[in-house]
Amino acid sequence: MSGHDERRQVFTGLRVVDLSRWVAGEYATKLFADFGGDVIKIEKPGDGSHTRRWVPTPDDRPEPEANPLFLHLNTNKRSVAADLRSAAGRDLVLRLIARSDAVVESFRPGHLEKLGLGPDVLHRVNPKLVITRISAFGQSGPYRDREATGIVLQAAGGPMNATGDAHRAPQRKPGLLEQYTIGRTAGEAALAGLYHARRTGKGSTIDVSGQEVLLSSADRRASYLLSTAYSGIDAPRGVRSAHRGSATFTGPFRAADGFVMIYITNQEFWNRLVRLIGAGDEAFQRRFLDRPRLGDDWDDWDDFMAYLHAWFAARPKIEIMEVAEAARIPCTAFLQMDELFVHQHFRQRGAFVTAGHPVAGDLDYLGAPWRMRDGFQLRHTAPALGAHTDEVAAELGATGATSPHQDVSRGTRP
Amino acid sequence: MNENGADMRYPLEGIRVVDLTVVWSGPGATALLGDLGAEVIRIEGNNRLSRQASAKTTRAMVEHAGWHRNTYPDGDPEPRPYDRSAIFNWHARNKLAACMNLETPEGHEAALKLIAISDVLVENNTNRVLEKLGIGHESLLELNPRLIVARMPPMGMAGPMSNYLGYGPNFNSLVGIAAMDGYEGEDPDSAGENYHMDEAAPAGLAFAVLAGLWDRDRTGRGGLIEFAQAENVMQDIGEYFLDYQMRDRNPAVLGNTDPSLLQDAYRTAEDDRWVVISIRDDRDWTALGEVVGDADWLSLGGTRAQRQENSRKLRDGIAAWCADRPVDDIVTRLQAARVPATEVMSETRLLDDPHLAARDWFQERSHPAVGTYKYPGHPWRADGFDLAFGRALPAFGEDNEYVYKGLLGYSDEQYQDLVERRLVTQEQLA
Repeated sequence: MSGHDERRQVFTGLRVVDLSRWVAGEYATKLFADFGGDVIKIEKPGDGSHTRRWVPTPDDRPEPEANPLFLHLNTNKRSVAADLRSAAGRDLVLRLIARSDAVVESFRPGHLEKLGLGPDVLHRVNPKLVITRISAFGQSGPYRDREATGIVLQAAGGPMNATGDAHRAPQRKPGLLEQYTIGRTAGEAALAGLYHARRTGKGSTIDVSGQEVLLSSADRRASYLLSTAYSGIDAPRGVRSAHRGSATFTGPFRAADGFVMIYITNQEFWNRLVRLIGAGDEAFQRRFLDRPRLGDDWDDWDDFMAYLHAWFAARPKIEIMEVAEAARIPCTAFLQMDELFVHQHFRQRGAFVTAGHPVAGDLDYLGAPWRMRDGFQLRHTAPALGAHTDEVAAELGATGATSPHQDVSRGTRP
Repeated sequence: MNENGADMRYPLEGIRVVDLTVVWSGPGATALLGDLGAEVIRIEGNNRLSRQASAKTTRAMVEHAGWHRNTYPDGDPEPRPYDRSAIFNWHARNKLAACMNLETPEGHEAALKLIAISDVLVENNTNRVLEKLGIGHESLLELNPRLIVARMPPMGMAGPMSNYLGYGPNFNSLVGIAAMDGYEGEDPDSAGENYHMDEAAPAGLAFAVLAGLWDRDRTGRGGLIEFAQAENVMQDIGEYFLDYQMRDRNPAVLGNTDPSLLQDAYRTAEDDRWVVISIRDDRDWTALGEVVGDADWLSLGGTRAQRQENSRKLRDGIAAWCADRPVDDIVTRLQAARVPATEVMSETRLLDDPHLAARDWFQERSHPAVGTYKYPGHPWRADGFDLAFGRALPAFGEDNEYVYKGLLGYSDEQYQDLVERRLVTQEQLA
């Protein structure tokens, strides 16, 4: 075995073709790119990925070469501009796929087949290929062709029915969170397929239904589904942490300068909280310590809550978090992006990595999602649209020459 | 590694995982490894609540427990609550369970023997728990250099806040997710159910373990995976982290709205049944108009700029239209016009959903401890290899004999001795 190579990463030598244009697919392939894989994005000439255009507020003008969403999702990837509807584009992609290990796509079900790039075609040029297909409702079934957005996925798959206040609308989770869950799961599926292909020499086609990913998830949906199967009762809205019955006292509270999240799950935590906010007030402590059940069925619940609100409202959120932690009570501050950016815990851990980009300039990117030997590196920032078209074409044109990326895994099987 | 590679049915056939996980994120991760055909063995001490359900829970106790009671079949925890809780059983498919109390010398010795012949160990306890038990990752890697040790402390193993106490919602708030969560324009309030850190960890951890195995094929060595759950879930708002640096602003609380779509959740004519509808572009708006027919507000949303400017008024119009109609009628008509819409699905509805039924998503399984029920299915499926869905759950101690005698080579006498001393039981005592 050769000496340790600083640049070697887990997926050095692995090639993934990214045909996706939205968050889930791009996050799935980012996992490979950030851990050393050669991920080549195929982008529509002129337009490029949809993530070049998504903006966080309606008033923003998209900047396709410096859009935060694209910059985040496409670190360490190469970009090839190719029109899959043209013969030349299709030919280039097929030649690329012949020399790749995996493909990730998130077109509507059936679209890949219409382009003449269905799994049968791809497996003919590369029998070992792992094809991961991401869609809203899967590649089969009566709702296969239904239209979806993030909120539609959360409503059909996530625990949204059990969120929000009892007498108001169910409430989705913010941002693009559901897309990341689907993408991360698709990445896991693709790597499982690759591991299988490495051990058996056999390729596969993977069907990732966004709805099913969310239905099976640890954000309580799977446990709610099983609870309902067991007892016939739906999870209620307007109840915090329904699973825990009356044992949990949780929620955000307003501090002097923001909010804190408290999460009391047992008698010991409860008593610590009563002692903390009632420090020096023997009467308060005597009144509320050792309450066996927590809940708003007490006749003096309002008294307790008023006392609690007043205590929180008089103190800054970080101070509350620190005194709560010192008393070993689960209670944390709500941080905003500006606070996260300078946060000493994450800074000291090296959780952010500074890198330059020709249009966006120097920025701090989120670093390793986890740490392992030969793990995460930010080798280069997200590519300009089509920046590697000529480079990749040249690599493919050099017939007979061995690309440095060509199936190294075959030669390293133990 | 199994040398008959070409005959393998599952990607992780022949891979053994020692599962020391508790509560949500860790067990969700090992469930995914079990799906891939790994032999996942839960080590459970009979003196602990490793399944979130106490042996002492009775029918009478849960009588007034509100919804919590419904986590048990027919609302009945007896006779073995720890085998009957949906809070454990949702992730228990394929797993094996062996009773091993790590605080006793006998349990410690058995655990080390098992770890020595395993490929992966996963744990999501508080920092330092393994060290206190004398099984920190350094000593385990010495014992078994091919082992992959995946540890999941929420804030990582080092750093000023690495030992802070908290649950998923606490760390969601630290990384900036909670501050974005709430009803449109109101104070942030995750309104009861946002455990996104738990949702984000399992697939990430399974990916990391697979990556560790992938690397081990080349190096012959295992190693530590430090999976700081807060740093993993932070990835899911990475665009806002960059946006802050580029535009010097924090994200707003948008509720069910979206910056580029006209979107909300609407009450229907049916009791507490809600529908979500998104309008992505002018085509969707025209299609919605054709379904709605005649309404004065339809003239106010023809362009994206108009939909943005009149958003409240347009959503009020859509809300009024939905309020008079049954939910299936709304969804069917809008989807026929290719407008994104769905009911906000309750669990009861999902268990009867024709689409999921056509895809055979739920899996019916029987186990003597609970009876026959439908279980949530796999997160994805593959053509080219199989995913495992064998036994729905392991009863506590169900695999004691297999693990002690079959894997660890304990003699009948040695095993019987542990059983007689109640160190190995088929019941949880706590």
